[in-house]
Amino acid sequence: MESEAFWLYDLVGEDIAFWIGYLTNGKHLNWYASFRFTIMAAVFGAILALVFGLLGAMAKASRFAPLRAVGSVYVGMVRGIPDVLFFLFFPLAFEQAVEWVLAMQVCTPESIAATQAKWPPCREANWLLTTNQYLILACVSLGIIYGAFTANVIHGAMRAVPKGQLEAARAYGMSDFQVLTRIHVRQMWVYALPGLSNVWMLLIKATSLLSLLQVADIVWWAGQLGSPNFLPQAGLVHGDWRWAYYIALFVFYILVTLLSEKAFNRLNLWARRGMPEEG
Amino acid sequence: MKKALIAAAALAALTSAAHAQDTLRVGTEGAYAPWNFVNDSGELAGYEIDLANALCEHTGMTCEIVQNDWDSIIPNLVAGNYDVIMAGMSITDERLETINFTQDYFPVDPSKYIVTAGTEVDFDNMSGMRIGVQGNTIQAAFVEENFADGNTVVSFATFDQSIADLAAGNVDVVLADGSSLEPVVENSGGALEFVGEDVAVGGGVGGGVRKEDTELLATLDEALTALKADGTVDALRAEWFDGVEAAYTE
Repeated sequence: MESEAFWLYDLVGEDIAFWIGYLTNGKHLNWYASFRFTIMAAVFGAILALVFGLLGAMAKASRFAPLRAVGSVYVGMVRGIPDVLFFLFFPLAFEQAVEWVLAMQVCTPESIAATQAKWPPCREANWLLTTNQYLILACVSLGIIYGAFTANVIHGAMRAVPKGQLEAARAYGMSDFQVLTRIHVRQMWVYALPGLSNVWMLLIKATSLLSLLQVADIVWWAGQLGSPNFLPQAGLVHGDWRWAYYIALFVFYILVTLLSEKAFNRLNLWARRGMPEEG
Repeated sequence: MKKALIAAAALAALTSAAHAQDTLRVGTEGAYAPWNFVNDSGELAGYEIDLANALCEHTGMTCEIVQNDWDSIIPNLVAGNYDVIMAGMSITDERLETINFTQDYFPVDPSKYIVTAGTEVDFDNMSGMRIGVQGNTIQAAFVEENFADGNTVVSFATFDQSIADLAAGNVDVVLADGSSLEPVVENSGGALEFVGEDVAVGGGVGGGVRKEDTELLATLDEALTALKADGTVDALRAEWFDGVEAAYTE
């Protein structure tokens, strides 16, 4: 270990070696590892948003009136609720609903009387969520919130496909299902992609809310690492460095959005293949 | 999916109930050096972490330390997320209405005022001052009661944040536990200093347990008595707090 440090000192000098050491201590490694939460929330949140979006768009375009109403209410309501609020509401409501169901099965009048807390009714019905469970609930919340936007984008894109294309397909003798899958959905993506790219950007930014759900994510660790320390026993003594950690997060998010933009451009070219050039 | 989740939760609840005697879940803030904090290795450390482990060793239980924000630390104890709070919490009458406390494991710790060097504070006619405290603490209650008229009380979520804002000039004076402020003043290189007289509030620091857990309370009290008698508690205090005197051994 000692000799290892010495060649490092010789190679890069004392200051840089110190910073390399500081930025790779256990606390920082925890921070780097916490990026997995953000990335997982973005990926699984997006997949669920697409699923909810397709279901919502189908409901909204349904010929069956009650289903159409469900679709419209979902899209209208969830889009109107601030994401932070929904992010706090849904996991809490879900947790308490589970505790309520659990309480009906495991609580006895004695255990309820012995419990001092107002909620859950008895101690056995308490559900303490782990980080992974919170992460799952966060993904579902993101899926529901951005699924509503996705539903609207897809609904609009379905209507943007020129009617003539569909009529021509029918004239060739395609069945309703063939028209839907081969012509309608196939061309829908071209109109949906710009809107979906916007929804993806919003979803990426919403992953910074994970710390609201007790997930020790990149934002939480940045605050912990940057907050001033005055005690040598607790590590390097330094002032308020949160600005530096937050700048690192800015850079991360900007890089992700830049890469996403490039990826969506490629995706758009792929979706347009075989279609006439624009303009 | 939902059924599986419910079943998993039920299983978790049942197993945790069955092992309630074997495992001691300790709730702590993890942001209050040197009492409890996350060290550079990314692990929880501090006086109360060492003390919790000593308690577990003495009673033969397995310690599981849970980090929880200060603001919700009492509600989450009552809800059953952990069994005992060890988070530098002073024993007060107000808190005793909601939870029980073990005997203290740190005697009354006088609160102190800290300012940026050279700031004068006239404690008899304080007015127009911005006073920083950590929210939901004995100091917050004290300041609200004594200085709320004519001054602005600024409440912070963590202790560190109150000091950072003092250093940045966002508040004029901070009132906090002397034991946490000592290393701050010592390591500030003269930038921060104590002012005025110490304030005696609170009644020592103890572990908070649910009111219905009388058995656990008795076990912890018994263990604390033993660890005080054999000098463990004072040794840990000396290790984590510079210059404190032995309080529980002669």
